[in-house]
Amino acid sequence: MRGGVSISVASCDRNGMPQLVRAIGCRVSDDGGRVTVFVPEAKSQAVQRDIFASGAIAVAFTQPSTHRTVQLKSRDARVSALQADDAQLVEAYRDAFVAEVGAIGFHEKMVRTLLSCPPEELVALSFCPSEAYSQTPGPNAGKKLEAGE
Amino acid sequence: MSAIKLDTIRECFEGVIPAVLGTADLAGMPNASYLSQVQYMDRDHVALSYQFFNKTRANLLANPNARLTVVNPYTGAQYSLALQYLRTETSGQLFESMKAKLAGLASHVGMTGVFKLLGSDVFRVTEIVCVDPDVAPPPPPPPPRNTLAALRLCSERLLACRDLAQLFDETMACLNEKMGISHAMLLHDPQAACLYTVASHGYEQSGVGSEIALGQGVIGVAAREGTAIRISHMTAEYSYSRAIRQQAQDTGLGHALQTGIPFPELAESRSQLAVPNQGCERLICVLYVESPQDLRFTYDDEDALVTLCGQLAMAMHIMQNVPVPEPEPEVEAVPDVQGPPLAVRHFADNDSVFFGKLRDQGRGRSGAVGTAAGFCRARQDSLQQSRTAPGPARAPA
Repeated sequence: MRGGVSISVASCDRNGMPQLVRAIGCRVSDDGGRVTVFVPEAKSQAVQRDIFASGAIAVAFTQPSTHRTVQLKSRDARVSALQADDAQLVEAYRDAFVAEVGAIGFHEKMVRTLLSCPPEELVALSFCPSEAYSQTPGPNAGKKLEAGE
Repeated sequence: MSAIKLDTIRECFEGVIPAVLGTADLAGMPNASYLSQVQYMDRDHVALSYQFFNKTRANLLANPNARLTVVNPYTGAQYSLALQYLRTETSGQLFESMKAKLAGLASHVGMTGVFKLLGSDVFRVTEIVCVDPDVAPPPPPPPPRNTLAALRLCSERLLACRDLAQLFDETMACLNEKMGISHAMLLHDPQAACLYTVASHGYEQSGVGSEIALGQGVIGVAAREGTAIRISHMTAEYSYSRAIRQQAQDTGLGHALQTGIPFPELAESRSQLAVPNQGCERLICVLYVESPQDLRFTYDDEDALVTLCGQLAMAMHIMQNVPVPEPEPEVEAVPDVQGPPLAVRHFADNDSVFFGKLRDQGRGRSGAVGTAAGFCRARQDSLQQSRTAPGPARAPA
């Protein structure tokens, strides 16, 4: 989850309309109980509104080279500012993602455009995952992951 | 409806960067899933592949609202699409087209029977927003050619063809010269059982005469399903299939796998497009093009080749069913004649022809001497005038 994986965040408004935003990096608490993803403030306005209203969040992590995918869900998400070291995590994430997708033929310039955002314009979405699912395409797609898997 | 139209962002649907689909259940819990196949339908509709995403499926049946994020693979620009789920198609052209593309991929990596399209989910697109309009993305590379103009030039050259051999040669030449397609082959389907190569361009071995069974690989599946299959990024799609293959083996479904079929034609094939063509409700031919370059064939290229192949198929159909005109009888060549000029005289009263000098006109006209060549020419002239000469020189009665 902290490597060069693609991170997509989903929320939902009270009318049942989903919203999406791509995250740029991730922080996992030392005990593994709390996950934080970083998203551009301007591109995540609708997602932030939904999270303020309901706290519901779904985040899918996928490794582009293998398509291995895990999705985490929670109803206690909240929006906060980045912590002091988070900007370094974001930079490290960009480099890891560029390396990951560069190996399968994607140009760095395009990838960095996809992940572009000044550090001061990032916000943090943090949550304690209550559900986890494997979404790697194939027979087990959608299977609920239990502790230890 | 948005100012941005679907047909101006079709390159986002090439499957290069997987699209993300957001759905939600009735309790308001969102779900995000990755898609490899987004099919452009028209300016207001897209279709998404329904394969494995069980939670997505359940959500859509309960709540038709969905959100799709796609990325332009050239610029990195992101687009957010608001969707309304309309229906799932499990037969028909759309389904067959998406299924064939999936089946072609599966066949190439031995995933037949595992990698299966269950349905084509059709959505109305109600809004398209460029997510980052303030960040000027790098401009996309200019198109190497005007596809429509190239199509017209190709069409004109095919119209001038008079027989199948010329038609095949011109098709290969046009693809290379006007459309910059360096590797192409044309396969003919004589009996709807297997295809054989009748022309090719760009390969070390021409492959003419080689056969492919219906249903085998991208070409065979395109032929069997009667729909074009375009693969734009072999590495990404191959690895997508391989991920499923690995998981299928891990879960005991390995027995359903086939042996992978290699690409003997072009070792580094990265983009492929197979266009089957029907005329009078039967498959006539399949045009297959490929390239070592990623993303070589676009939606526009597919449109152009489908159009050109329609003309090609009808020309083949006509040429195969119209008997070849009988060649005009050639006039027999007259060998060179040596010697002095020969006098030829024709007597209209009894239609006699005399060759050479008459020895004694006073004693009749017997004894005329001519040459066979002279006689032949006289006879041919006579035939052309629909007149029959009375025979070799003879004495008048």
